[in-house]
Amino acid sequence: MSQPILEVHDLSLSFSRKKVLDRLEFSLRRGEWAVIAGRNGVGKSTLLRCLAGVLLPDAGAVARSPEACPAKTGFISDRLSLFEDLTIGQAVAFHRRVFAIDDFDDRLLGRLGVKQKERIRSLSAGERAILHLSLVLSQKPSLLLVDEVLHMLDPYIRDLFIEALIEAMTAQETAVLTVNHTFSEIERLPERVLVMEEGRFVVDETPEALRGMMKKVVCRGPLPNGLPCFFSKGEGEYKEYFIYPFSEDLRAAHALDFQDIALPEIIKAFIGGGYEQKRMA
Amino acid sequence: MNLTIDAKSPLPAYQQVIQAIKLEILSGGLRDGDPLPSIRDLAKLLKLNPNTVAKAYYALAADGFSENRSGSGSIVRVPPGRRDHLRQAMLEGEFRNFLEKAVSLGFSLEDITQLIARAKK
Repeated sequence: MSQPILEVHDLSLSFSRKKVLDRLEFSLRRGEWAVIAGRNGVGKSTLLRCLAGVLLPDAGAVARSPEACPAKTGFISDRLSLFEDLTIGQAVAFHRRVFAIDDFDDRLLGRLGVKQKERIRSLSAGERAILHLSLVLSQKPSLLLVDEVLHMLDPYIRDLFIEALIEAMTAQETAVLTVNHTFSEIERLPERVLVMEEGRFVVDETPEALRGMMKKVVCRGPLPNGLPCFFSKGEGEYKEYFIYPFSEDLRAAHALDFQDIALPEIIKAFIGGGYEQKRMA
Repeated sequence: MNLTIDAKSPLPAYQQVIQAIKLEILSGGLRDGDPLPSIRDLAKLLKLNPNTVAKAYYALAADGFSENRSGSGSIVRVPPGRRDHLRQAMLEGEFRNFLEKAVSLGFSLEDITQLIARAKK
């Protein structure tokens, strides 16, 4: 494995009295795809803004390798903020001056039927996302930070968006860090899944490892003692119990059906468990 | 080519890619000398991480199913003789699974012979 292109140590940030990032540790390698999940307001977007350099932390440092310098880092925020009054052509010219890019690939916009002279104000959320993506991809980025934007795109645009990210990964080994809470469509893409809780990562695993670590048990009445239940759901007679951390010897010790669950459901359980812990606190 | 990835399968995606391509080769859909789809194309098609596809291609080459040609992708490398041998091995493996299941359901070899005779009609 190659050297990290991005390393974060001891990152902390507070908004007035609320601690948003809490001594967070993280690193990302070249060509790696990692996804950050977690409940709303847990610090995911704030972290991405810190990594993009648009927000300065109170403490700690973001260390980038030269290849992940700001000109080679593309950031797509969930606000999709662009200059509303510019036409697409003007936005491209501006981006070209700032980042000294050679060529702008307008094929994706073309496929949506968007013209260069249209004003950004008049674009739909999906068209904006594709414009934003096309702009940052023209930087030939070695690092792409993409906040939760996929959920607001229609399925066709979502496909275009994901395919463009895959293209960038094969073309220049771009590392991709995305924030997603619903990710059934991209669940086979990340090599690392990070779950954030109260300003730090509580999970950092490969999808395969994570699938091995959480199982679901559906049973009547309470769960037998000695099982690590991270989260449970259901008001009726039958309840779903999410067992985490699961290990294979639990299978031998309990005559229960430990079901394999797919990644989106695992993430849902982590998020639900996060709310439960918050309630108890 | 009939390639799909089952998101719910406990099998890692790269192993699903390996299996799907092996099956394609054994069934004759991909022949000796045929190019495999490029890593980029397959990753886009299946919505997979290109590193996952690359890992599968690397394993296929290591198993002697394909050859990586620098710059021009991978091609299938399975001479017909070897293919027949692998097909036979696969059939036997599947048949053994079937037998085990049948026996665990309480059927005898005779029942199975009868079943095959009936299927022939």
